[in-house]
Amino acid sequence: MAKTKAPSIRDERAFHNFALVIMTLLALFCVVPFILMISVSFSSEAALVKGYKFIPMEFSLSAYKFLWLKRATILRAYGLTILVTVVGTAANLLLTSLFAYPLSRKDFKHRNLFAFILFFTCLFNGGMTASYIVWTQLFHIKNTVWAYLLPGSLMGAMNVLMVRNYYNANIPYAIIEAARIDGANDARIYTGIMLPLSKPVMTTIGLFAALGYWNNWTNGLYYITDSKLYTIQVYLKKLMDSIQFLKTSDLTNESAMLAMQSLPTESARMAIALIALLPILLVYPAIQGELIKGMVVGGVKG
Amino acid sequence: MSKMVTPAVSEYDDLLVQRKKQKKREDRKRCLPLYLMMLPGLIYLIANNYIPMFGILIAFKKINFSLGILQSPWCGLENFKFLFVTKDAFIMIRNTLAYNAVWIVLDLIIAVFIAICMAEISSRRAAKVIQPIICFPSMVSAVLLSFIVYAFLSVSYGYLNTTVFKDNPVNWYATAKYWPIILTIVHFWQNAGQSSIIYMASIGGIDKSLYESARLDGASKWNQIRHITLPMLRPMIILMLLMSIGRIFNSDFGLFYQVPLGSGLLTSTTQTIDTFVYRALLQLNNISMSSAASVFQAIIGFVLVMLSNLLVRVVEPDNALF
Repeated sequence: MAKTKAPSIRDERAFHNFALVIMTLLALFCVVPFILMISVSFSSEAALVKGYKFIPMEFSLSAYKFLWLKRATILRAYGLTILVTVVGTAANLLLTSLFAYPLSRKDFKHRNLFAFILFFTCLFNGGMTASYIVWTQLFHIKNTVWAYLLPGSLMGAMNVLMVRNYYNANIPYAIIEAARIDGANDARIYTGIMLPLSKPVMTTIGLFAALGYWNNWTNGLYYITDSKLYTIQVYLKKLMDSIQFLKTSDLTNESAMLAMQSLPTESARMAIALIALLPILLVYPAIQGELIKGMVVGGVKG
Repeated sequence: MSKMVTPAVSEYDDLLVQRKKQKKREDRKRCLPLYLMMLPGLIYLIANNYIPMFGILIAFKKINFSLGILQSPWCGLENFKFLFVTKDAFIMIRNTLAYNAVWIVLDLIIAVFIAICMAEISSRRAAKVIQPIICFPSMVSAVLLSFIVYAFLSVSYGYLNTTVFKDNPVNWYATAKYWPIILTIVHFWQNAGQSSIIYMASIGGIDKSLYESARLDGASKWNQIRHITLPMLRPMIILMLLMSIGRIFNSDFGLFYQVPLGSGLLTSTTQTIDTFVYRALLQLNNISMSSAASVFQAIIGFVLVMLSNLLVRVVEPDNALF
């Protein structure tokens, strides 16, 4: 009781400032590595020999010129990434919502059985090796585009349950019944009522699915060896591999020397990496609100 | 059913049975479109999840590809025996558990700290800018992450070796002892923002009048945090801790494999169960070792998920998965 309000306010202001300083520093810590990447991509090779710097010592567009020369390879990988992302996301949303709708129907007798079949996949899996053998030996997806689309999370159980819960919570059963009485069949109810009314949850799931497909490189690592089928992430990964390999091999070897010369320079590599990041960078400001909302929901449930 | 209906049964009963049959037929007709809608998803679940579950059997077989998987002879627990006598098994399990144990605790402290700081920023506009920025690193793929880390650690041109370690450059990708620190920094750079989101949301849900009355009573900011914010976050903290128990045998494959550039010299500190499964399968072509490790991980994982859910159900019944 001896305490007056005045020191409390000063103490609060100090706290606010402390928090602002700490968080600004953290934000800088998150941004700085990207600045280094950008700076390297705009540096001349001669300057890079002295080391990577946050501000280009000698500004140069040579990295981007090199990319232009290599545009056939890069555009091919880029195009495939876009294709996989678009098709994968669309298929993901379709399968997820199609599976969620019957689960939400209270008059569907076996809905609990199917919900369990779905949910059990969250609890137990056969492990990566079994998965790899099934996809390669049984379904023969090695070195096909399917390798990017199918193994993994074309339809995530948690997402289906999230959509089902959304249907249950936000679309009154009376609407569906009324539609049935008016003679609408299930296909009509799904396309005319469920899909339009569940836009928010579908947007969230779609964004995470798209991000997942764009960033996926492990499927490429496991199932793709044909360089014609590299997505941009797999292309970058293989690029890093070959550089590491040549660094450790004997550079007096003539073929290794030649191979080293044909590889993109240090700056060009960073430029390619930046180009892979560019779409995310561009859409992030617009979608970050949705993503953060999704992280709150996803954080609690798995 | 119809066979059981004897001629002695009254017409009324007959009608009833027929009604029932009709209703069943109608039910089936009504549910048919629903089954059709689920079909693509079901096929996917069978292919992607259920068939691989039977793939667990591979770990108990001596695989001979000329005979095929089904015809290969059984070998009991031999694959597991071979795996667990190696030093690899000890290293990968130790690494997986140790990184998880340390990071679960650090994750929690850092995420709560960030969430509290974010709530304290008085300028909402500044907070609105900072939050997306600290979440952005989680949007980056492991491959890109490896490029970013390489920019700092590259032996000849990397930022660290040309500035801080100019006089005695370190061969980062060949020196295992630095990687626990490097991976920890990279892990938090990528995940700290994202993992704080959930606590920010919880703090946002705390009744503001609690702070008002504490302030009137002259409670300092520190005391408000200690006696209001932290106790209010307690259920969420416990929930997140329990849920992370279920994932303690899993690791972020990209972080442990791609960020160290798959360097074989670093396995003593970067090998986890996930990276071993990959290396054994595709680099050593040793299916028995790989499947033994992956089945071991899957089964322990199942037990731990059940255990963590059981604990959640005791502590926070509303948040239990099942």
